[in-house]
Amino acid sequence: MTVAAIELTPRQRTWSAFRRNPLGLASGVVLVLLALVAVLAPLIAPFPEGYGADTSQPPSAAHWFGTDDIGQDVFAQVVWGTRVSMAVGVSASVLAIVIGLLIGVSAAYFRRLDTPLGVLVDLSLSLPVLPLMILVAALAGPSVRTLAVVIALFSWPEVARVVRSQALAIVPMPFVSAAKVVGGSSLWIVRKHLLPGVIPVVGVSVVLTTSRAVLAEAGLSFLGLGDPNSWSWGTILHKAQQSGSLASAWWTTLFPSLAILLLVLSTTLLSVAYNDARNHRSDS
Amino acid sequence: MRFIGLRLARGLLTLWFAVTVTFFLVRLLPGDPVLAVADPNMTEELRQKLLADFGLDKSLGAQYVDYLGQLLQGNLGMSFRQSVPVTTVLMERLPWTLILTVSAMVVTIALGIPLGVLAATKAKGWLDRLIQVTGVTAQSLFVPSVGIFLMYVLGVWLGWFPIGGAVDLDATGFGATLSMLHHLVLPCLSLVLIQLGGYVLTMRTTLIDALGEDYVALAKAKGVRPGKVVWKHALRNALLPTTTIAGLQLGTLVGGAVLTETIYAYPGIGRAIYEAVGQLDFPVLQGAFVLLAAAVVAANLITDVAYGILDPRVRTS
Amino acid sequence: MRRSILVFAALAIATAACAPSVPGQSSSSQSAPPANADRLTIGTTADVVNYNPLVGNSRTDSWVTNLMYPHLTQMDESGKRVPYLATEWSYSDDGKTATVKLRDDMKWSDGKPVTADDVVFSVTTVQKEKFGVVAGLITALDKAEAVSPTEVRFALKRPDGTFLDNVGFWLPVVPKHVFEKAPSVQKFANDADWVSAGPFKLTKVERGQRYIMQRVDDFGPGTPAVKEIVFRVFPDVNTEVLALRNGEIDLIGNVLPPATATELKNDPKVTLQQIPSLGWAHLQYNTKRKPLDDVRVRQALAQAVDYEAIRNIALKGYAKSSNSSVLTPSLPDYVDPASKEYVFDPEQSKKLLAEAGATDLSLSMIYDQADPNIARWAPMVRDSAKKAGITIKLQGLERNTYLDKTLKRDFDIYAGSWAVMDNPPANLGLAFKTGGFINYAQVSDPKLDDLIDQAQRALSAADAKAPIQEAARIIHDQVYDNVLYVETFNIAHSTKWTGFKPMPSELLSILNPLSLAAAKPAG
Repeated sequence: MTVAAIELTPRQRTWSAFRRNPLGLASGVVLVLLALVAVLAPLIAPFPEGYGADTSQPPSAAHWFGTDDIGQDVFAQVVWGTRVSMAVGVSASVLAIVIGLLIGVSAAYFRRLDTPLGVLVDLSLSLPVLPLMILVAALAGPSVRTLAVVIALFSWPEVARVVRSQALAIVPMPFVSAAKVVGGSSLWIVRKHLLPGVIPVVGVSVVLTTSRAVLAEAGLSFLGLGDPNSWSWGTILHKAQQSGSLASAWWTTLFPSLAILLLVLSTTLLSVAYNDARNHRSDS
Repeated sequence: MRFIGLRLARGLLTLWFAVTVTFFLVRLLPGDPVLAVADPNMTEELRQKLLADFGLDKSLGAQYVDYLGQLLQGNLGMSFRQSVPVTTVLMERLPWTLILTVSAMVVTIALGIPLGVLAATKAKGWLDRLIQVTGVTAQSLFVPSVGIFLMYVLGVWLGWFPIGGAVDLDATGFGATLSMLHHLVLPCLSLVLIQLGGYVLTMRTTLIDALGEDYVALAKAKGVRPGKVVWKHALRNALLPTTTIAGLQLGTLVGGAVLTETIYAYPGIGRAIYEAVGQLDFPVLQGAFVLLAAAVVAANLITDVAYGILDPRVRTS
Repeated sequence: MRRSILVFAALAIATAACAPSVPGQSSSSQSAPPANADRLTIGTTADVVNYNPLVGNSRTDSWVTNLMYPHLTQMDESGKRVPYLATEWSYSDDGKTATVKLRDDMKWSDGKPVTADDVVFSVTTVQKEKFGVVAGLITALDKAEAVSPTEVRFALKRPDGTFLDNVGFWLPVVPKHVFEKAPSVQKFANDADWVSAGPFKLTKVERGQRYIMQRVDDFGPGTPAVKEIVFRVFPDVNTEVLALRNGEIDLIGNVLPPATATELKNDPKVTLQQIPSLGWAHLQYNTKRKPLDDVRVRQALAQAVDYEAIRNIALKGYAKSSNSSVLTPSLPDYVDPASKEYVFDPEQSKKLLAEAGATDLSLSMIYDQADPNIARWAPMVRDSAKKAGITIKLQGLERNTYLDKTLKRDFDIYAGSWAVMDNPPANLGLAFKTGGFINYAQVSDPKLDDLIDQAQRALSAADAKAPIQEAARIIHDQVYDNVLYVETFNIAHSTKWTGFKPMPSELLSILNPLSLAAAKPAG
């Protein structure tokens, strides 16, 4: 090892390794672009509503992604869909992570809670997720908020499991026992020692849970359980399915599908790259 | 033995939880199950009679106790809509779901192991990158889109595969088996595509770790050919996590089969669930959930036990 | 580019791996080009849920059981009743007795003849156990009796000119000797060993996949040309269209969404059969909620809908105007030519709202999210109302929630459609008389009730015409119902088949028993 390498903090080393991974960087750029599209949607295209004279037109200069069966611009739908799909994805993921963190850390730190919480996680993992989501979404009625909550409710166990195993490795460490001995409160120990230890793992989870949430949102909307007052990628596909033009008006299917693929793919690649970068420490 | 007993108890507890949660969820669904059977202009008298027939006139608590009692005797109740036992409804569907999920799992593993090994041995090389990107891309696909794409290209354009269904009407004997496989290809392919990526990536990571271990280095030092080292030593070591994933994925597979079965008109449990939600057929819904939860619990149990046998360290922890 | 090729290669590998032993040419699913009379395959999007024709009420249930259990009458294209099991039917002069004569050449599949006893049993069971659609339509029935094996007499409590139309069209006739053994006919699953009398008999069921029916050689009205009818289950109309193009099915049972119809119109291998709807799509305003109880507000809402756009864009022109009348062009016997469609005029609408003191109107509108047409035009209703300063919030609901809210009358605006309104006096009674069970708008208008009663007592369409037209005018002027359009259904079948006998409504269309019995290969 060179002297310079020794001087780098782990975070800096991860970053320098990450920078050398073209896939990871490209994914990051794509995600930033998608986020920009979501935020700037009103500047990019008008909100898709009403109807137009050019119905079921293939992509052209006037309509980059073609038009649907009532003449709305598919490009505008995809742009505005980015907003809802990402919003649902991110908020579901944040919610899932908060729940997962709480449960995972509690299970690791308070040993008595470990078994009951373990059973809870087992239980949640043993329920068939999509059918249950269908059930809950039907129960709560379709809205963007419902979707986010429903998806979060079924996504936290994975996070909890990862967090718990990471936290379990930290709890027995000398500095934690030391903190206990000097009378540090549990909350303080968790905040000061446990959370910083598990956050890197959670970083990966955020990304993965978001992509899963986006897929789940698309699935639910596709089955007709989405929010009729807003556009998401799943809603576009659902409307294409309802009009019976999934296969023939290929542009109404292809572009929202590509958008889903792009978002999920880049989040996954990003997390893989991040993981690889963290593991670089041993072989740099 | 004690380990197995503990695991079994935990499995049963999980199953009971699953039954309870789904029991109440199903009954919270909006709508009136009686309406799904009779006309809205039925008399109050008929309505009460139907409610009593379905056992819906009692309190939720009493219904729950009744249901658990029935369940212990292996009785899943009668379908509201079809007036036949739920067991009959589900048993018609179960074989198809099993065929689909098991074949998808076998193919995933059969493709996943060599691809994982390949990626690990060429780690950071272009082949590794390629396998990773392809795997991750496949994993990120949205099932309904893939379904329509595959049916359109391979079904309508090329005419290689049938659109939906599980077996041809006229096929008999060996022909029926062939026809069944023929119908299986597209739905199976969809499931494999979305499962394969995760599998390969995990295989790769575990193998890279294993390749760094001392005994592999030792084997190399002893002059064993590198290829042989990978295949023999490392692979055996990587089988443990594979078992875990296989068990876990069975759960997601069975659940994930809902979309796949719906898209391909495959007559499995997943589609039965989707239909039962629409028909407010509580007993069928409930029965399907019990069955799925039991399958996942059993798969996890088997994985855990297999893990315990393969790796003695687990038993003590 | 390179990536897509590689993905495709990976795809091909996986394909091969999925089916290690299937050679390409073993695909028996591709039917040979010329159709023969051996088999007609029909695509549907649902399984048969209940084989008991007196209970089953889904589309597929009806299609299959209609081929097995005869009805007294069928319907011609103008909605007039035509003979099926019944040859003649009439009322006595006082309207309190109805008589039906039956054909004598119909047999149950176990060899027993279909007789008046079976008809009496079927109608009496429904009357006694009070289930299914029919129960609500035969409230006038006192007693049914078999005068002879081929003649049934119905004694009525009051003169009811809608009775024979209703019983004839809606009541499936079931075999008494089989169904009477069940302790409760309503709970009788009838899921095996079927004894039936239609042109086809159900012989094999592969749940989730298909229903196989064989022809009945000695079917009274004539031996069917097709040997075998197969109903195949698909997830949605998209896959049905793929299967039709692929030659795997010969007919799509479900109505095509307008966009799909537009597109299949140009397919040389597909024939589109146009079928008039007996129902209509509409908006209903909850007259028990403020400010919707004010007729000016309802008129304002009716003038804030762009009817032309809905018919031309959402329905692609596959819809007729009903001139905002509940007497639709599908039943020419009753149509009132004087009726005028509400005018789309947001300015007028604003004025009416100002008069009624209902400015800043904000209402919610419920509809079934799974109904492809309504899901299409509901946003258009919202957008056109916005021009009149009215806010409409869409509540596209899952089907059961939607039904629940409808039954509880828990909505401001209801968007939906009525499927089969085959007899105006009977149907308007259910829909607009005080307390009627599909009176979603909660109309309560004594004058209207009286006119509908008059029309029901009339023993012929000619006599019923004057009062029912008057009733329809009140419904129009008071905006008790806002009829948007009458859909023209498109049913697609392969050009390899011909000879279908179309009847109105998606329930009958070209899948009615007499039509499938007449279907034959083209050329």
